[in-house]
Amino acid sequence: MKRNEKRLFAILMTIACLFAIAPTANAMHIMEGYLPPVFCVAWGVICLPFLFFGFKKLSKSVEENRKSITMIAMSGAFIFVISSLKIPSVTGSCSHMTGTGLGAILFGPAAVSVLGLIVLIFQAILLAHGGLSSIGANTFSMAIAGPLVSWLIYKALKNTKVNKKVTIFLAAAIGDLFTYCVTSFQLALAYPSAQSGVAASAVKFLGIFATTQLPLAIIEGILTVIVMIALESYAGSELKAIKYAE
Amino acid sequence: MSNHTHHHRHGFKKHSHDTGGSSIDYLAVTSGIRHWSPEFKVGFSLLLLVFCLFANHPIISVIIMLTAAFITLGLGKIPLGNYYSLLTIPFAFIIMGSLAVAVDFAKGPVGDWNLFLYWGYAYVTKKSLMNMGCLILKIFAAVSSMFIMTLSTPSFELFAVMKKAHCPQLIVELMHMIYRFIFILMSVQRNMRISAESRLGFCDFKTSCYSFGQIAGNLFIVSLKKANAYFDAMEARCYDGTFAFLEDESEKQPKLIVFAVIYFVVLIAIWWLVH
Amino acid sequence: MTQPILQVKDLYYAYNDEKTALNGIDLAIYPGEKIAVVGSNGAGKSTFFLNVNGVLSPEHGEIRFKDIPITKKTLPQLRKNIGIVFQDADNQIIASSVRAEVSFGPMNLKLPREEVVERVNMAMDYMNLNGFADRPPHYLSGGEKKRVAIADIIAMKSEVIIFDEPTAALDPLNANMLEQVLDQLTQEGKTLLVSTHDVNFTYRWADRVLVFCQGKIIADGTPREIFTNDEVVKKANLMRPTMLDVYEQLVAHHLLPKDDKYPKDVEEFAKYLKNHFDE
Repeated sequence: MKRNEKRLFAILMTIACLFAIAPTANAMHIMEGYLPPVFCVAWGVICLPFLFFGFKKLSKSVEENRKSITMIAMSGAFIFVISSLKIPSVTGSCSHMTGTGLGAILFGPAAVSVLGLIVLIFQAILLAHGGLSSIGANTFSMAIAGPLVSWLIYKALKNTKVNKKVTIFLAAAIGDLFTYCVTSFQLALAYPSAQSGVAASAVKFLGIFATTQLPLAIIEGILTVIVMIALESYAGSELKAIKYAE
Repeated sequence: MSNHTHHHRHGFKKHSHDTGGSSIDYLAVTSGIRHWSPEFKVGFSLLLLVFCLFANHPIISVIIMLTAAFITLGLGKIPLGNYYSLLTIPFAFIIMGSLAVAVDFAKGPVGDWNLFLYWGYAYVTKKSLMNMGCLILKIFAAVSSMFIMTLSTPSFELFAVMKKAHCPQLIVELMHMIYRFIFILMSVQRNMRISAESRLGFCDFKTSCYSFGQIAGNLFIVSLKKANAYFDAMEARCYDGTFAFLEDESEKQPKLIVFAVIYFVVLIAIWWLVH
Repeated sequence: MTQPILQVKDLYYAYNDEKTALNGIDLAIYPGEKIAVVGSNGAGKSTFFLNVNGVLSPEHGEIRFKDIPITKKTLPQLRKNIGIVFQDADNQIIASSVRAEVSFGPMNLKLPREEVVERVNMAMDYMNLNGFADRPPHYLSGGEKKRVAIADIIAMKSEVIIFDEPTAALDPLNANMLEQVLDQLTQEGKTLLVSTHDVNFTYRWADRVLVFCQGKIIADGTPREIFTNDEVVKKANLMRPTMLDVYEQLVAHHLLPKDDKYPKDVEEFAKYLKNHFDE
């Protein structure tokens, strides 16, 4: 191949890929079979303490009030449905909310870790998004790291002078971005660059997924604000029932 | 009870308005290998998945892809069109993920193909292209080995297997309920969306965002109300905190197990030869 | 008279300090009765049912099942013997397959496995659900879901069965099926309470009608007594059954004699006309 041809080949490939990416959903779920076994296990192990803590917390609330079991299950189903909704977009491409920020703000990071795991299992078996072998990695990025960051930001800014809408927006959008960074890092660890190692590879993954994830984070932030405003205006008592108010 | 019998004895009619868009779940109920014991299907798929990941070899991946397709399409009688469209779900991730594996950046043109970007070069080597190809095959093999399970085992059978595998009771109960509630909330959401659409709720971006928020908020309230109603209905049927259903005692299928063992022995032998 | 199967004395109930939903209910129900419970939305019918089943605990009052007062200790006994078929099957069906769903009640009764299997098969036979055993409930039609919801309760072999607006959202064919099931249950000696807005159904089916209005029972009697009492009909926002109107019009215009026959449904009416004009 001549150099020009090579260049053309690369450019065409990139363009083809960008077009292929644009109309697809849930691209941040690491697919079945993508991670080598050692990473599958390692990420699963890292999740365990968080999941254990979340599980204890859920068990306690069920023990205290048996009625909370259907409440918890509904919350899980709510997160699943929210994350499967097509979100409005300017370009006509189709993507989905992650629901992690909203979930974390509504139910707290402990509950979301376990519910997130269950939702990810359902996404894997019902929708073939993500996978069972990558469930550890996906749980860590989407059900633990992202929600935790969202929740921390929300808690930190809630009692300051920062406008409530801005707080919710930042919590949801940054949580989303953090999930995206963690996933890129996970991918980079598994597939480091031959020349320059993990860091360069992480930059590569960040760059590629930025095309879908940056706009998504902004839209997710906006939608989370709208949902929360809607909830606060006519579901005050329900929000109290799930201890959102405290 | 007699004069309506004929009416309800029609075959498996799909009530698409209630399915929540999960064709996998729907196909699983109709699979030709539904009667295989769920433990066997789960065990077989998971072993195949694990083997596929550990072997990490293109020939093994191709063999797994073909045998999985044979089981799901040939024995399970899942329509080819559905199977194909399910296989394309990971397409976006595969393209992005494998592109990142194939393409690398360096100061100089060190690859077999290079693209000059003014601060350096993006390059692809033959080896990295090979890796990318193997990776793509591996993903398809892994996805299709999971499809053996998900396209033949309805979710409630999976929960029963989880319970037998000593998964915590609370988790299994939550999975049972969440599964049911997903479909209920889906149909509620669908109705709200249709009614919003019929009133021009999605005419432009701003209105769409507003409608989306209203629907999600409403859905949340409906879900909490339903949670209460459900609990009442469960209590009315003597629910006392332990969730119990009648589960089929699965029959042993020694023939299948023998086949599976032979298959894995052959697979391992091939792997040993090509490795 | 025989001993009442269910006795309710001076029952009061309020939802979280809001206005009282049940405002002093006194009632005795006897085995084998076919009772229609009517009254406008929010009159307290569903709240009453949930109290009777012990899901809600009354603020004040007493419920006796076969002369056993209901306390925390005897509550399981009450629930076992009083089944509710809820209005919306989608608020009742909890399991992920029809067979598992029908087994939920019997499993909670801690019956031995063989008996659970037997009851599940019996109930699915009863509701003609045999081909549906392994089907997830969300792939069923509305009428099929209703049948599953009824099979749920039949598998529990409750002596008293409450149907909360069973015909709402059913097509005529399924509504007809429901009436047949009700008749069959009556023949088996079950006591039935059916809440409904369908006055024609009430008139032809029930042998006793309870009229709820603002948390109270304002009338209790035979369908004929209730629907010919204009004051009650007006107060509870009821309508008169068509059959009753037609019959009374015919009598008023001297086309039929004033012999107090009051046919309940078209079939009875046709028979009556035939007898009358053939003579």
